[in-house]
Amino acid sequence: MKIQIKKSTILIGLLLIVGFILPRFAGEYYIHISVLVLFYAYMAVSWNILGGYAGQHSLGHALFMGIGAYTSTYLFTVIGLTPWIGMWLGGAFAGVIGGFVGYLCFRYGVKGPYFALVTIALAEAAVYIVTNIPSIGGAQGLEVAWTGNAPQLMQFDGKSGYYYMILVMTIIAVWLSSWLIKRRFGYQLLSIRENEDAAEALGVNTLRLKIQATVISAVMTALGGTFFAQYFTYINPRAVFGEGPSVQILLFAIIGGIGTVWGPVVGALVLIPIAELSRGWLGGTFAGAQILLYGTVLVLTMLFMPNGILGLYHKFLGKFQNRQSDGGKSEAL
Amino acid sequence: MSLLEVSNLRRDFGGLTAVHDLTFSVEPGEIVGLIGPNGAGKTTTFAMLSGFITPTSGEILFKGTSINKLKPHQVCLLGLTRTFQIVQPFPDMTVLENVMIGAYTHHPNTVDAKKKAMEVLERINLAHKAEEQGKILTLPELKRLEIGKALATEPSLLLLDEVAAGLKDVEMEEILELVRQLNREGITFLIVEHLMKVIMNLSHRVIVLDFGQMIGQGTPAEISKNPAVLAAYLGKED
Ligand SMILES: Nc1ncnc2c1ncn2[C@@H]1O[C@H](COP(=O)(O)OP(=O)(O)O)[C@@H](O)[C@H]1O
Ligand SMILES: [Mg+2]
Repeated sequence: MKIQIKKSTILIGLLLIVGFILPRFAGEYYIHISVLVLFYAYMAVSWNILGGYAGQHSLGHALFMGIGAYTSTYLFTVIGLTPWIGMWLGGAFAGVIGGFVGYLCFRYGVKGPYFALVTIALAEAAVYIVTNIPSIGGAQGLEVAWTGNAPQLMQFDGKSGYYYMILVMTIIAVWLSSWLIKRRFGYQLLSIRENEDAAEALGVNTLRLKIQATVISAVMTALGGTFFAQYFTYINPRAVFGEGPSVQILLFAIIGGIGTVWGPVVGALVLIPIAELSRGWLGGTFAGAQILLYGTVLVLTMLFMPNGILGLYHKFLGKFQNRQSDGGKSEAL
Repeated sequence: MSLLEVSNLRRDFGGLTAVHDLTFSVEPGEIVGLIGPNGAGKTTTFAMLSGFITPTSGEILFKGTSINKLKPHQVCLLGLTRTFQIVQPFPDMTVLENVMIGAYTHHPNTVDAKKKAMEVLERINLAHKAEEQGKILTLPELKRLEIGKALATEPSLLLLDEVAAGLKDVEMEEILELVRQLNREGITFLIVEHLMKVIMNLSHRVIVLDFGQMIGQGTPAEISKNPAVLAAYLGKED
């Protein structure tokens, strides 16, 4: 047997090395941008398990991000519970809500654009509910009190601590996502996306699988929500439950390559730096310039590369290599 | 014990009764043909047998178990799998992966499922297309893939809905031969077919539907002489 090191393995190795040593060389500003890249990559990977693999396009994933952010922050603020624990409680809470939402939608055949609408409505409902509960901050939101450099409370002096935390989270998420897609669970999710009736006829328990995908995706997204709260040290209903985060989460997956392992990462890696840098160049207001940019990129993506950046890359690769089969899934990378 | 026992099966769509008081059984090892003019209720019957729609009334026993209320995936797990009249591939998955979805039903491990799927691809003469996307196949290939996916679930009863429709003679003969072979290996078939040629050629026994009711059954030879059948069905067909 010939020992073969795949190109993708080398690439991933290089990425990891660069990832781990980056804070030694980069200034705070670039570390900040890297944190954003990793955070949105993480969120997009989480969304992708439900939206990309199972093909159930949630447009209200901020619901789960908000649950994670609010649960850990509230528990920290009120009883001083460390976010390291609060994070998992938030994840569990989001998992239960995700399971409930998934059950109700999928049990009653809500799918496609209707599922998207229901998720938007639920996230929007969450904005209003949280806004109207003064004890969890109401419209003002919650602040994460700074306690100095306290890793045990998920608070770090400087940005490197946060950077390493989200780096590890992203690595685990990508690993989980690539592990899932290589086994029965992942293939069955794909089959649901591709043709639900055919899947069901071949013994796939489509209802159970869609609910499971929702729960996994919700838990992962909520864990990211806690990170968001700790990093920005301030949350309010619209910032974590609103349409802004909902759209951003799925944007990177769609632009990078929906339903692929690396698409969501590539999407964030390409788009976040452009967005951040252009913010400086354009000098415009934060919201205006970014939304315009994201909107333009999204429309161009849909028009010219429906399979995202990775799809485009594979298309060119295919032209050169005459589509030699790699014996594996074309989705794999 | 019959493999499949259907008694007084009925399905209404609003005011329309698509299947009306249908009673028949399928014995292990048989190839049973289900024929009837367009709109006779054949596809509706298949949809009920495979769990896609629930009967309005009546009873379906498969291997002695009532499957009326089961979901399609549960019916499949028991060993009853259907194909679709309009082929239903997984377009953005490879041919191998298409068949693996069926194979996973009894082989949860991916290595085993892949092995099983490769065996099936050899059987349906699609092994050379294993790494192609489902969406690039031709119709004859898609028809074979449709059988292959179902075959990979290791059914004891396979329901084929118009599996020869739209094929040229050579392609059709290939599929008929496959069905005969699989039947010799122990798989029981219930097939819906529009083309008399196919049904008469393949079936041990034929059930004739018209307006959702059984109007006759028997061997292909008997059926082709049954006056009620001739009036209702054969007269309308070419
Ligand atoms: N989902 C449905 N809703 C309403 N009517 C239906 C539905 N499915 C089938 N039918 C009607 O039931 C009758 C039987 O249809 P079908 O089972 O498809 O017949 P066949 O397969 O024998 O051509 C037809 O009159 C058809 O229009
Ligand atoms: Mg039909």
